[in-house]
Amino acid sequence: MRPKPRPGVLVACDGTRGPDVRDDVLRLLRSLRGQDVSGAVSRWDASGLFEELQVAKRRRRRLSPRTLLLLYAADLAFRVRWEIEPGLAQGRIVVAAPYIATAVAFGAAAGLPRRWVDDVLRFAPTPAVSVCARERKKASGWTAKPLSGFVEFCVATLEAGNPDLDARVYRLPMIKALDAAVSRRHAFRIDRQIVRRIVP
Amino acid sequence: MKAWLRRTLRVHAQTRGLLIALDGLDGAGKTTQRRLLKTWLLQHGHRVHISKPTASRAIRPLLKARQHIHALNAQEFCLLGAADFRHRLETDILPAVWEGETVIADGFLLSDIARATSRGLDLDWVLEVYAPLIWPDLSMYFAVSPDTSTTRIAASRAPSFYQAAQDATHIADPVASYKQFVTRARREYEAFARIFDVATVNAEAPIYQQHLRVRKLVQRATRRDWADKNADAVCEWLALAAPPGGRS
Repeated sequence: MRPKPRPGVLVACDGTRGPDVRDDVLRLLRSLRGQDVSGAVSRWDASGLFEELQVAKRRRRRLSPRTLLLLYAADLAFRVRWEIEPGLAQGRIVVAAPYIATAVAFGAAAGLPRRWVDDVLRFAPTPAVSVCARERKKASGWTAKPLSGFVEFCVATLEAGNPDLDARVYRLPMIKALDAAVSRRHAFRIDRQIVRRIVP
Repeated sequence: MKAWLRRTLRVHAQTRGLLIALDGLDGAGKTTQRRLLKTWLLQHGHRVHISKPTASRAIRPLLKARQHIHALNAQEFCLLGAADFRHRLETDILPAVWEGETVIADGFLLSDIARATSRGLDLDWVLEVYAPLIWPDLSMYFAVSPDTSTTRIAASRAPSFYQAAQDATHIADPVASYKQFVTRARREYEAFARIFDVATVNAEAPIYQQHLRVRKLVQRATRRDWADKNADAVCEWLALAAPPGGRS
């Protein structure tokens, strides 16, 4: 069972492309600042696991989607312990970008069971609000560098391990899975209305 | 399961090698028995591959670096350990078994799970993290008392921070922490050995006597039906080489 929400507000922002998520988080923070509210951001790879893999070129050593998701879970556990829970305990607004839905969507596109991803990530607190980043250039797959986002990293790793794989085929299933993973009741696009939903 | 995967599993059922797992507390003498078993198998014409816990060259350094600065809690340790295990399985163990080598895995699933649950983690969650589980053809548990394990480990050096589970016990003295941890870990090992039908070897017995028992167990070992027991793990590994939607 997931831990109960803390006194602060946890906002999850998920998407299939790192730069899109980053841009939308910046817009969200600007909107919050416009209301005189500051928020903390918990970003992907705060633990440095993926960067170390990339720097040491260990990424090329053929990591499977399941291994990549376990690494994501380890990074998320680090973020929950050092960034998300302390922020929530102080009553702050914490924007986790990306969060659970990105992992669920990647898992779905890579053929991993949804239940497994949910179970592994069940330590992460439930977000009060979930936001889907605006998906741009849906047909083009991923062109950004591996360290610009979790999915970019995974795609580059999987393609390096398997020259036959064209990971662009993951994009549309991921978008579909992301839409399905984010509960409609709590999912909003980033606009002016969202601040009213977030600020307690 | 896709038809080509099922076919491939069937074709390889007789040509694949045997997967033998050695588990037990530190200081139980697994390495000694592994070496003796390897020599014996080589003398009998087997091709032998040794898989050590350090086999995953991609993930192990990440784990080591964080262990060195005591940066991991039980949950992160378990998740990184599972990533390390999965990578070792997919890049070291399964390819060798597939090629027909007899693989001796020194420290396998049972060790990882017992150590994680001894740190207070929920068993269901740990099993999910390590899913899909892979069942070796022969799994041996080297049973040793906490006192013997502590004496053997402390004889040469103090146990390291995570080996002594000081992250979980919060005891400053590494030897005292190690002893408390292995007492708990031993209970976990024994429970899992019963549940998962693991062969127990008395690791307090003389070395040669243990080796004779190991030989007997290996002689009696048969290949598990992968299509039945390990289909998920093996098919996932096989599918890694296949592009999505290909080879229908």
